[in-house]
Amino acid sequence: MTATTAPATRRAPRAGRGPRMRRRLAPYVFVLPFVAVFAAFSVYPLFFTARLSFTDWRGTGAATWVGWDNYAYLLTNPAFWASLGNSAVLWLLIVPVQIVLGVLVAVLLNNAKLRLRGLYRVAFIVPFVTPLVAVAQIWVVLFDQRYGAVNAFLGLFGLPDTGWLTTSTWAKPTLALLFLWKTTGFIVIILLSGLQSINASIYEAAELDGASRARQLWSITVPLLRRTIGFAVVLQTLAVFQMFAEPFVVTQGGPYNSTTTAGYHLYNHITRADLGTGAANSFLLVVLVMALSLLFVRLLRAKD
Amino acid sequence: MQRHLLRRRALLASAGLAAAAPALAACGPDIASDEDSGGSALLKAPDRTEGEITIWDRSGDLFEVFEGVIADFNAKYPGITVNHVAVDIDAKLQNTLITGADVPDGVFLDDAKVGGFTDYLWDLSDVLAPYAADIAPQKLDVNTVAGGVYGVPFDLDPGLLFYNATALEAAGIDVEAIATYDDLLQAARDYRDAVPGSAPIHLEQSAFLGQLQLEMYASQLGTSIADADGNLRLDTPEFERILTFLDTVRQEGLGTRAEYLTPTDIAELDNGNQVFYPWAIWFSFAPQQVLTETAGDWRATQLPAWDAGGARSGAMGGSSFVLPKDGPNADLAWLFYEFLMFDEAGYTAVWGPGDVYPEGLATSIPSYTPAADPAKPLYTGITALGGQDLWTVATEAGAQIPGGTPTPAWWSGAVDYLGNDLQRMLDGDLTPQEALAQSSEDIQTNLVDRQ
Repeated sequence: MTATTAPATRRAPRAGRGPRMRRRLAPYVFVLPFVAVFAAFSVYPLFFTARLSFTDWRGTGAATWVGWDNYAYLLTNPAFWASLGNSAVLWLLIVPVQIVLGVLVAVLLNNAKLRLRGLYRVAFIVPFVTPLVAVAQIWVVLFDQRYGAVNAFLGLFGLPDTGWLTTSTWAKPTLALLFLWKTTGFIVIILLSGLQSINASIYEAAELDGASRARQLWSITVPLLRRTIGFAVVLQTLAVFQMFAEPFVVTQGGPYNSTTTAGYHLYNHITRADLGTGAANSFLLVVLVMALSLLFVRLLRAKD
Repeated sequence: MQRHLLRRRALLASAGLAAAAPALAACGPDIASDEDSGGSALLKAPDRTEGEITIWDRSGDLFEVFEGVIADFNAKYPGITVNHVAVDIDAKLQNTLITGADVPDGVFLDDAKVGGFTDYLWDLSDVLAPYAADIAPQKLDVNTVAGGVYGVPFDLDPGLLFYNATALEAAGIDVEAIATYDDLLQAARDYRDAVPGSAPIHLEQSAFLGQLQLEMYASQLGTSIADADGNLRLDTPEFERILTFLDTVRQEGLGTRAEYLTPTDIAELDNGNQVFYPWAIWFSFAPQQVLTETAGDWRATQLPAWDAGGARSGAMGGSSFVLPKDGPNADLAWLFYEFLMFDEAGYTAVWGPGDVYPEGLATSIPSYTPAADPAKPLYTGITALGGQDLWTVATEAGAQIPGGTPTPAWWSGAVDYLGNDLQRMLDGDLTPQEALAQSSEDIQTNLVDRQ
């Protein structure tokens, strides 16, 4: 009896510890692939860039530790501030317009009575999936100063030719228009998903109370979409401050660097092998974008 | 309680990552070593003719041209397999050289960029020695850094004066009489009088290409933006003279402001308003491929001289072949480039009539002078240029390009300053003196001093 029960009582705790250990380890095993990829492609580059930002490394030879020199250079360099200024102006030209436009279009597309709703949705998303290089070529032709369709149309009303892409006054608005045309469809999709999560009974109750469409939009849709709008604002803030491809293919940052965005300015340092300054520039950009994103999140929470 | 536990775990995980990251960062390319990763290394000609080489070229027409020459190369070196790859070199070369992973044996590279990679490249002085005396001096200059030669010179891009012969003839302008830039100004005034509303001379509106064209004018005067030691030499009488000429064209309304071959530029070329185009030989692409109304009307002649009897051409752009030290068979890649550039069978296949360019590669001439012999044309009559013998014009112009015009490693960075200030001047916002003084100061502060 003893001989048969004793081993069983000794084995029981061992058998129990195994599954418990496995249960404890299981989550870590599941997240391990992500952590490994995250460490390799996010954490490692982050720390490597941080280290790089304190050197004068140009991609070749030995690097010299220069302390805060790269940061000091950037913070006293008018071109760096001008690139931030360009991005800020583009943000003002793009994000508020895009959000207002996006909400209105999303509300229209969310209307079940709208005919050809699917077609409109496709039409709005097509620019987003069209290759930028092709769009850029069309933009260059459309906005050509002497032979572009835009000036030809405006000429019908007696307006003079405008250097849309060749004057520092108009290059930013023209670039903003391209960005708006290309990405508003994506914002509409995000806002549509937010709209569809709003309970229809709220609108029914409002209608019974005699609220007009405009009142419903302002008092129901906008407040209940606040989080989605906030998400879209943060997303587009990131996109505008990192904007690179649009000025690269349309204006090459000109005229006079008036469309050299923060992302383009960073790219210039990297391609000119000024890697230390480029790394410092990217960190300053990260800090700025993070601060802006936190600000928007805070503002939203305050409203909640 | 659970939230506390989660926070503690998150904190521990973050701390773990933070602790691991510096160790991970240390695994990257060695950026803090005192040991110089570069240093001069002379490439020696190989004593073997078997192996595989990887060659990077830009995609496009030149890739196809070089692809077509591989068979000729293999006829001479059957034991060497050429792995020819079309690559976005600007995007990939820097990272590839830094990491040392999958480094090619030979790379096609803009002359202006060679200086930025020399620590990673073979010094070709030794293998090029038998040919050096016969290579255009300007091409050796742009590939020479601190006494080493880091590129196999490919093409020479002489500046030429392209002109609309039909339009000028109709206006009674004799192009043969244009010997100096003063003559060109007078011819432009005469044309504008004959064709009211025209703006005969091209004024480049792209900051990058404007600076490249400025270097062409400077090359004619035997100078460039910096000397062989990297010292700036911009605020000089030569550059002031060039900018004053351009400013005169602007002030008198003799110039068409447009970016190279954008819709405005093409339209103004095709409608006869813009009839003089001082540009590199590669403008010949425009009448061949882009200008629909005036193809066949265009011709090329040597550039006017700054002073009577002076050089009638300057270099504008150009490319070379570099051989990375980490390329496993760079010595065999040298044999490939030696064949392409210095072997008659090779350069004839590159520049002569072929599948890609049925009339020959008429957008450049060889930088190897025995290959650029006016008496032995590799291409001749170009239909889009009214059957003109462009070879003779270009080789005679190319032979006049002065040397002593190196390209600094920071050349493209200077576009933010010199390129932009040149455009400001052409917009009437700066005088030539102001543009040069301001550019010099900015380039010195932001580029030269930070090297």
